[in-house]
Amino acid sequence: MDSTLSLKPRGKGKGSKGAPSSNDKSKYQLLKEWSNWSLKKAKVATHYGFIPLIIIVGMNSDPNPHLFQLLSPV
Amino acid sequence: MADLLPPLGTAQIDGKTKVDEKVDYSNLPCPVPYEELHREAIMSLKADNFEGLRFDFSKGLNQKFSLSHSVMMGPTEVPSQSPDTTIKIPTAHYEFGANYFDPKLMLIGRLMTDGRLNARVKADLTDRLVLKANGQLSNEPHMSHAMFNFDYMGSDYRAQLQLGNSALIGATYIQSVTPRLSLGGEVFWAGVPRKSGIGYAARYDTDKMVATAQVASTGTIAMNYVQKISEKVSLATDFAYNYLSRDVVASVGYDYILRQSRVRGKIDSNGVASALLEERLSMGLNFLLSAELDHKKKDYKFGFGLTVG
Repeated sequence: MDSTLSLKPRGKGKGSKGAPSSNDKSKYQLLKEWSNWSLKKAKVATHYGFIPLIIIVGMNSDPNPHLFQLLSPV
Repeated sequence: MADLLPPLGTAQIDGKTKVDEKVDYSNLPCPVPYEELHREAIMSLKADNFEGLRFDFSKGLNQKFSLSHSVMMGPTEVPSQSPDTTIKIPTAHYEFGANYFDPKLMLIGRLMTDGRLNARVKADLTDRLVLKANGQLSNEPHMSHAMFNFDYMGSDYRAQLQLGNSALIGATYIQSVTPRLSLGGEVFWAGVPRKSGIGYAARYDTDKMVATAQVASTGTIAMNYVQKISEKVSLATDFAYNYLSRDVVASVGYDYILRQSRVRGKIDSNGVASALLEERLSMGLNFLLSAELDHKKKDYKFGFGLTVG
């Protein structure tokens, strides 16, 4: 009986240290999650936007080419 | 400065023809970048052989901006279980590309019909620091790669830091030791297969020949030698040995740069003979013929192509 009573508070202590609850995340885990999210968004943005970026940069360099030069096959 | 130099200048020109010359160790030339250490050997020995049809059309809109369209039809190899058989799957794809070349910024993007984007960026952040980024992005998850390189060019050394996705970090350093000899080393750490490696390289070049050697803790030892016979002809030979997997390959190749064409060929100790011909039919029109015969695996690849613009 004494052993079970003395074990209970220790069990609760271990529980709070072992698995962080949703309110209690460490800064390192927040940073990892935020960097994963931002890398995923950056990858999608690069995938869709890299070629348009090159086209915009190229069309604004001088001498400015015309739009029909971009689209015509000749 | 120029008035003081003429007597020293002539002494140095005479000195170069003698064996023991007076070397100015504080004024050595900048070495070639570490990844281009064996660039002359690569031009002859690792030519761009392909199989099937290749058609590249490149249209310039500007001095700096151009678009490119390329069509490739042919079998692509799929890694197979047994080393004796090769599995080839016929594919055809179209690739749209846009290039922007500026003295300070270079952007190259290639987009394929299956959604894969191949992007390269080279930006001069200052006149000594260059950022290079290279990425292959695809729609499939976990199949995208990206690598960022920061290159610093010193007066007689170059240092580079590489960062890649899935936790890859590498650094290389190369230093000119004499006007002809440069020594370098590299260190890398890869997070996903947890391994790290270190390697050393040396390059000795004169006007007529280039010799390089590389040793790495991943097990590769590679040495190559290129002799420039004349302006038009150069011969190269290469030896690669992996002391962990006990693989040995030696190859001999040639590179003939003629007025209207360029022929490169090599023969290997694995029984592979290959050649690549690039012929200039007229201004802006190039014709390509490629052949690679692998006698050991009985795999024969032939390709032809046309490059316009």
